[in-house]
Amino acid sequence: MAAWILTITIFSPLGGALWLLLGESADAGRVRRAALVSSLVTSFLVLVALIMFYADSNAATDGSFCLEHKSAWLTETEDAVGTIDVSYHVGIDGISIWLLVLTGFLSPLAIWASFSGIKERAREYYIWMLVLQTGMLGVFCAMDLLLFYIFFEFTLVPLYFLIGVWGGKQRREAANKFFIYTLAGSVLTFAAVLYLAYFAYGKTGVFTLDIQALTELGRGGLIPYGIQWWLFAGFAAGFSIKVPLFPVHTWLPLAHTEAPTAGSVILAGVLLKLGTYGFTRLSLPILPDAAIAFAPFMATLAVIGVIYGALAAWVQDDVKKLVAYSSVSHLGFCMLGLFSLKMAGVTGAVLYMVNHGLSTGALFLLVGMIYERYHTRDINKIGGLAKPMPWLAFFLVFFTASSIGLPGLNGFVSEFMVLLGAATSSGTADGIKAGPLGFAYVVPAATGIVLGAVYMLWMCQRVLFGPLIEPPNTPDSSAGLTSDLTRREISILAPIAVVCLAIGVYPKPMIETMQPVIAKSVLQPLPDHSIEEGQEHFAEHPETERAMRRLGLETTTTDATSTNAASAHPRSTGRIEGLYAEGRLPG
Amino acid sequence: MNQLLGQAWIPEGVDLFRFSPELTLVATIVLVLAVPMIMGRSARLVGGIVMLGIAAAGWLTWRVAAEVSGQGVAGMSPDPASAMLLVDNLSCFFKLILFFFAACVTGMWWMGSSASERNAPEFFVLLLGTALGMALMVGTLNMLLIVIAIELASLPSYAIVAFEKRDRAAAEVSLKYAIFGAISAAIMLYGISLLYGLYQSLSFVEVADGIATDLATGRNGVIIAVALLCFFCGIGFKISAVPFHFWCPDAFQGARIEVTTWLSVVSKAAGLILLMRLVHALAAAAGAEMISALAPLAWGIGILAMLTCTVGNLSAYMQTSVKRMLAYSSIAHAGYMLMVVAILAVPGSVGAASAVSALLVYISIYLFMNLGAFGVVALVYWHTGSDSINAFSGLIRRAPWLAIPMLCCLMSLVGLPPFAGFMGKFWILYALAEQGDAASWLYWTLFVVAVLNTLISLYYYMRVVVKMMLADDGQESVRAPAAGTIMVNLCGLLLIAMLIWAQPIKHFADRFSTNLYSAPVLTVDVGTIDQTTAHP
Repeated sequence: MAAWILTITIFSPLGGALWLLLGESADAGRVRRAALVSSLVTSFLVLVALIMFYADSNAATDGSFCLEHKSAWLTETEDAVGTIDVSYHVGIDGISIWLLVLTGFLSPLAIWASFSGIKERAREYYIWMLVLQTGMLGVFCAMDLLLFYIFFEFTLVPLYFLIGVWGGKQRREAANKFFIYTLAGSVLTFAAVLYLAYFAYGKTGVFTLDIQALTELGRGGLIPYGIQWWLFAGFAAGFSIKVPLFPVHTWLPLAHTEAPTAGSVILAGVLLKLGTYGFTRLSLPILPDAAIAFAPFMATLAVIGVIYGALAAWVQDDVKKLVAYSSVSHLGFCMLGLFSLKMAGVTGAVLYMVNHGLSTGALFLLVGMIYERYHTRDINKIGGLAKPMPWLAFFLVFFTASSIGLPGLNGFVSEFMVLLGAATSSGTADGIKAGPLGFAYVVPAATGIVLGAVYMLWMCQRVLFGPLIEPPNTPDSSAGLTSDLTRREISILAPIAVVCLAIGVYPKPMIETMQPVIAKSVLQPLPDHSIEEGQEHFAEHPETERAMRRLGLETTTTDATSTNAASAHPRSTGRIEGLYAEGRLPG
Repeated sequence: MNQLLGQAWIPEGVDLFRFSPELTLVATIVLVLAVPMIMGRSARLVGGIVMLGIAAAGWLTWRVAAEVSGQGVAGMSPDPASAMLLVDNLSCFFKLILFFFAACVTGMWWMGSSASERNAPEFFVLLLGTALGMALMVGTLNMLLIVIAIELASLPSYAIVAFEKRDRAAAEVSLKYAIFGAISAAIMLYGISLLYGLYQSLSFVEVADGIATDLATGRNGVIIAVALLCFFCGIGFKISAVPFHFWCPDAFQGARIEVTTWLSVVSKAAGLILLMRLVHALAAAAGAEMISALAPLAWGIGILAMLTCTVGNLSAYMQTSVKRMLAYSSIAHAGYMLMVVAILAVPGSVGAASAVSALLVYISIYLFMNLGAFGVVALVYWHTGSDSINAFSGLIRRAPWLAIPMLCCLMSLVGLPPFAGFMGKFWILYALAEQGDAASWLYWTLFVVAVLNTLISLYYYMRVVVKMMLADDGQESVRAPAAGTIMVNLCGLLLIAMLIWAQPIKHFADRFSTNLYSAPVLTVDVGTIDQTTAHP
């Protein structure tokens, strides 16, 4: 079971899609219920995977992979073409499990939210939704680069159709732009992937695309800087477009605006994370030197994205476009955190991926609910909705607060950690190699937070408060909608709100599983001689230490087993554990 | 030659057995002509005979393949030193593909044309004639036989393209095709005559030896270059490499859809395999110390490949006929396949085994992508009478079970996962990377060009997809014969299956790409020649 759970999880939505495809039921109600059931089954399987992940004490505490399944796919041992190790290899660790859970959590909600909006070609719609879900789950579970790439690309076609068939007025243009942008980047990524595998072949005699093997290669310093540079550029080409980073973000607002509600939710909630996840899983660990070299550049683009996205969002009249631009801004934060190359920053960034998925997903849902009633998303044409729609007002304010990082809600934790990471980037306090960022990046990014509060709150004010403005002949209740949110809609939003609150109050369980992974297989540990420098940094900057301790950052490893292992081999079993064991870092 | 012409010569029985697939084809041609004289010109009857003949030929090929799997065999000549025909893994592979595809095309004909066909015997004589030519093309290194094989494959093609006698467009493209073919055949003959004049031999193996000696001593450089250039022009015509591709879109558009399907896959594959064999023989004769002398050859083929796939892809952009678009797409795919042939031009190259195997994998996958895509075009054409892109509008509503396989085939042609076309590209890029690291930056250039071309090609395939899935101008739904629908859906499913079970496909190709017949060394057995040179 443990070996198969991920495979079953990944392909269960595809099974659901086949069920829909072959069942000839024309009744839209039955089709959508079947789709919802199918995605709920998947969510249940994800939950099982989560429990099994926690049951595996190694995975939950020392950052190793678990629930692995590996079977030969293109594997060759010493024949005419040499040794090839390309396999169907899936597994999860402390980072990917949360993105898996996010996918499993949002997908049924997105499907449920489509019940009232999708009236034409419903069967086809839900088939594509389920196919898309398989692609997303697969990316987060893939431990083989070719498998990763296949799932990465696999998400393109379903979303293309979701936008192109069920989108708004400019849906064709949006869908084409989305497809061409993304594929343009990812073919370059594919070239880099193949070259990387070929390089590994030269070094180790095995043409391998196994992510763990490649990570070892990269962390072992076996890839020369010149090659890393090109590979990083190749990876970045695909991932930055997906994120989207500042100059290549232009497909996103259009795609978001035109996509159907569920498409936007999935796009913002999960698909954008494929880019940041790619950076976390591949670029940083496999190409560490290039990551340091590229960090100022990437972080600059990220900060520009933060400010630019916020300013662009400010001037939008279309609520959906406003949320779309806020995504550009938020993903900028995420990238800034990643390229701080610090424990705090990367943890914050990974947490940000989840949080952004929740809060922005919910905002898109709300925008969709408004649109279904008023058939407009123009801020000037609606107003004062708080009076007829108190539930909507509650949720809109709630998720706005979560999105702008109000303390106590999820956004705050990750935003703070990202900024902390960027600020302390040059330090070595956490036993991680010094990164190149500093306060110069923090200040403009923090301005972005202020701007974020401005445009989001202003939007809330205009939509919810003031005199009631409704377009003529609305609200439209033809699809069984009531003037305020229906029970279905409330039950879609409420779970997201609960999770947002839970993460805001108590993010520790997530952080605790992420940090060992980041220490073990994302960031580069300090070379031995600079440990003392790290101590000096702590001595000079006690505030950093205090801040980190407050966030629970120092609790990387506290349990007895790993401490024992670390004291037996203080240098070899991961330097972080070693440092804690020797009492050099406060534990 | 004197022996062959002057004295009676009877081939060995084992030679005849190895030659039996071709002989079966010949017998089928005779039957197709003779039986209708007795039993009436029923199209179904002729189709049945053809099916049986193809099945027999395929079965015999399988037997022969099992017999020769360990070695390449040359024979069918009174003079064992200059064998006329080769039977080795590679030629068996191609013949298996050829007969399988012939059966599929006959099936298409059965569904679409047999009801109204008045000239079935003539049609199949021409079709099987081209098949025979292609089967010979991949099984020889004798320059005389190469010319005969290419002509045997080409001449019936000119006629079969214009098989609808009353169709003016078909007549026009047939004339174009014939003129192009005649000129390139003339150029090729000129090149071959130069080579014969230089080395007094028709065996390309001996010619290659001579070329290697001359290159080593620096003699006859210009004349060799001119001769090879002319020679390869003729083959370039067959594979419609740019700039010899102008006939291809016209011929493909004008011909019947089953003929187009036929020509789009096997005629190119045959040309590519022949070219690969010649290049391989040249490299094997030259040896590892001659890499720089053969560099112009590698560059020439490489540049041709880049041009072919880029021009093919760019030309496909604005096409309104899906058939014509697929014709350009087939030019582009010939370009991808040509890339790996450039690897073989490096003597003793590390990537050679991967290259041959990648080519065979690609051909196997390409066969199903094209069969599926042309199959859907055919089914839509038979119902609507149009192969314009507008005929596909709203196909997902009008015929979902045609639109879904079409989507699979087109995405596979782009090279998107999770379809097998991705695997085909993967192995080609793998071979190029392997070679690129070892040899020159030509291969990295090819690598990048191949990757970028994937992106270019996306656009025009997507146009059809957009029409099928996103547009709908309210045309009536398409009724397609059940057999045809099942066939195209099988193609679509196979494309996914071939990605999941990529390993068996690769092993299949590996098995047929090893032990290529190359420079022969005589043993006592007449007609059987040991495989001595390293397999590529």
